[in-house]
Amino acid sequence: MSEQNISVALDRDHRSLSLAEEKVAMEVKNWNLYYGTKQALKDINMIVPEHRVTAFIGPSGCGKSTLLRCFNRMNDLIDIVNVDGEMTLHGDDVYAKEMNVASLRRRVGMVFQKPNPFPKTIYENVAYGLRLQGINDKGILDETVEWALKGAGLWEEVKDRLNENALGMSGGQQQRLCIARAIAIKPEVLLLDEPTSALDPISTLAIEELIFELKKEFTILIVTHNMQQAARVSDYTAFMYMGELIEYTDTDSLFTNPQMKRTEDYITGRYG
Amino acid sequence: MRDWFKKGEHWIWFSASTVSISVVLVFGLLAMISYKGLIHFWPHDVYHIEVKHQNGEKEVIVGEMHDSKMKEIEDPNAPHGKAEIPQYLIKTGNRDVYGIDFRWVSSADVVGGVDTLEKDVVVIERYEYGNVYGHIQSITVDGKTVTDPVKALAMLEEQVEKGTELHDEIKYIEKIEIGAINYKIEGLRLEEKRLRAGGDFTDKDAARLDAERKEYQEDFDKHHKNAQALYQQADTLGEVVLSIAGNKSLTVPVKKIVHFWQPNNLNFGERIGFFFSAVKNFLLDDPREANTEGGVFPAIIGTVTMVMLMAVFVTPMGVIAAIYMSEYAREGVVLKMVRISINNLAGVPSIVFGIFGLGFFVYIIGSSIDELFYSYALPSPTFGSPGLLWASLTMALLTLPVVIVSTQEGLSRIPRSLREGGLALGATKSETIMRIILPMTVPAIMTGLILAIARAAGEVAPLMLVGVVKLAPELPLDMVAPFVHLDRKFMHLGFHIYDVGFQSPNVEASQPLVYATSLLLVLIILTLNLGAIMIRNKLREKYKSLDN
Repeated sequence: MSEQNISVALDRDHRSLSLAEEKVAMEVKNWNLYYGTKQALKDINMIVPEHRVTAFIGPSGCGKSTLLRCFNRMNDLIDIVNVDGEMTLHGDDVYAKEMNVASLRRRVGMVFQKPNPFPKTIYENVAYGLRLQGINDKGILDETVEWALKGAGLWEEVKDRLNENALGMSGGQQQRLCIARAIAIKPEVLLLDEPTSALDPISTLAIEELIFELKKEFTILIVTHNMQQAARVSDYTAFMYMGELIEYTDTDSLFTNPQMKRTEDYITGRYG
Repeated sequence: MRDWFKKGEHWIWFSASTVSISVVLVFGLLAMISYKGLIHFWPHDVYHIEVKHQNGEKEVIVGEMHDSKMKEIEDPNAPHGKAEIPQYLIKTGNRDVYGIDFRWVSSADVVGGVDTLEKDVVVIERYEYGNVYGHIQSITVDGKTVTDPVKALAMLEEQVEKGTELHDEIKYIEKIEIGAINYKIEGLRLEEKRLRAGGDFTDKDAARLDAERKEYQEDFDKHHKNAQALYQQADTLGEVVLSIAGNKSLTVPVKKIVHFWQPNNLNFGERIGFFFSAVKNFLLDDPREANTEGGVFPAIIGTVTMVMLMAVFVTPMGVIAAIYMSEYAREGVVLKMVRISINNLAGVPSIVFGIFGLGFFVYIIGSSIDELFYSYALPSPTFGSPGLLWASLTMALLTLPVVIVSTQEGLSRIPRSLREGGLALGATKSETIMRIILPMTVPAIMTGLILAIARAAGEVAPLMLVGVVKLAPELPLDMVAPFVHLDRKFMHLGFHIYDVGFQSPNVEASQPLVYATSLLLVLIILTLNLGAIMIRNKLREKYKSLDN
């Protein structure tokens, strides 16, 4: 696919998007988060539309990554974090007592800023999530690994060296491997935390292209520092500032006709 | 010059010189124990030294030169009335005749120098009383006496070879075969005691035990008879008469000879051959003569078995403790206290661990085990006395901090992103630890283990309290089930060095053995470490691109 084709493909194929008409994958109501006594997220209310790409933008420290990590309860790992509010995934209460965190994370996958493949073979990296679920059948594993690697656009590059150590791959390949690893367990929602910030422009393009393909099957939430990237890949964009959700609407409107002064200042580069 | 100081050059030189001193010390130490240890195996020349004592008495001394040092004597002709002259330590052997092996000779008494080789001298190593230095007068076998020196030598060689074979056979029968039978008979005795103590000892049991006992007894008698026959055969090997220095003669039965050689007639190739066979004997023979002669085989086995068992105990204990502390325990005062305690544990003198091992493991745990499971054998203790198990556990405790600390360091080096990667795929915390984190920590665990092995193999003091003995009748490792005998006492190279060097009746004779044993101990620790290091490097290779 040439660069021109991509820009055409990425060009809005959904001019008339409206949050009100979307199916809801996740919903957040009155969401607050505290690091000890410091409040990091303030009264967030939003819905995450199904099979769409939703981007979070905002200056450093605005809480976008923190919010993203709430969706799969990654913040549970930090002892001093306390949350209140309501968060649902297809109607299930994410923070309910009876919610099994491990199975929640199978439904809400995550890809991190820095590629973090395990020091295992490429095959084992992708199969890891399945093995955790007790799936050890060679046929199923082979099939899923191939499907996931194809889904991550990596199959052609690695099909002959599946048994080599994943740490020998390039950074961009490693990040796509992490995406393959995440989609191999077929989550409902995929969280991408600045997935391209550690990559070169070519790899970034490959990942952006991939995100466009993946939204057919997954609901995607992406945190990015790069406003062009948000404009290119997302259907909806949320602008956050100082732990608050300032503006949340379809990407075109946000970038062409921001309603809030702060949003405008940010996207026109007055601060950031 | 001021510039030179300003640049800090003197600090560089200072650091470099301290490094060089350390390197020189390490290599000096290795070189010294290597030289002093290995020279023990090299065939020494035997010298002919004529001595004229101050009272005018003349004497001929035949022996090996082992040491020389300067001694101050009164000398009216010298500038300060004192002069330094050399004196020599000569190994004369023939202990049963002279009473001593070694004697100092002052060069003032020596007539005609100390570099005359004794021609055609024969050195005989015996199972008892050490070496003989002399010339063969005659050899008598089956009543026939041969005096021709060449023929006698050939005959002696033949007879000694037969003698060595017989000796090996007897040793095999007595140590291995009869040893196994004794072990089984002891098992029967304990079984009877156990049944009687339980109150259900029936006539049927008695008959069965008697039958088995009779069977073993027959076996025993058979082996015993074989051994006796071999002993009688050994008696017929004849005897050799030697003339030794001081116009005396000495009769040596052939069965008492380990081997003999003519040091002054050996060429270089033969000397090398002698060296290697001596090293082999040192490694594979049992000790003789209160450990001052023979080999150190049981001590090698004891040391290695103890260290291996220690590794088996300390690794899981240390790793599990480290995982709990760095992955699960909540940071706080308690954890801080635990950390401080562990670091301090590493500084506790080892003898204290020995006392603890004796008091806790042997007296409390061991006695309880005996009361619970081996009460029928009481009052003779099974686990209630020092032994291999308690020694290994004590050593494991001693080296535990090392393993914990290095495992913790390894765990803290694993990037957070990998843990999160595991968790984000729906793994529980323990799954992430078992499948991702622990495999990556193995190199660090190995580092801890290497340090632990080095420490445990070299430690002597605590072992003296919890299981090491001067001479163990049986190896802790043998071919009779259960193969590793945890309740047995064992020998240890470190303790062997102490015992031979400082507790033996013949300090001069044993000094080279002390160096040789030290060298061996260093080599064993080195081998164990190199093995572990190789495994570690292989694993590191696997994860190396992760470090950047």
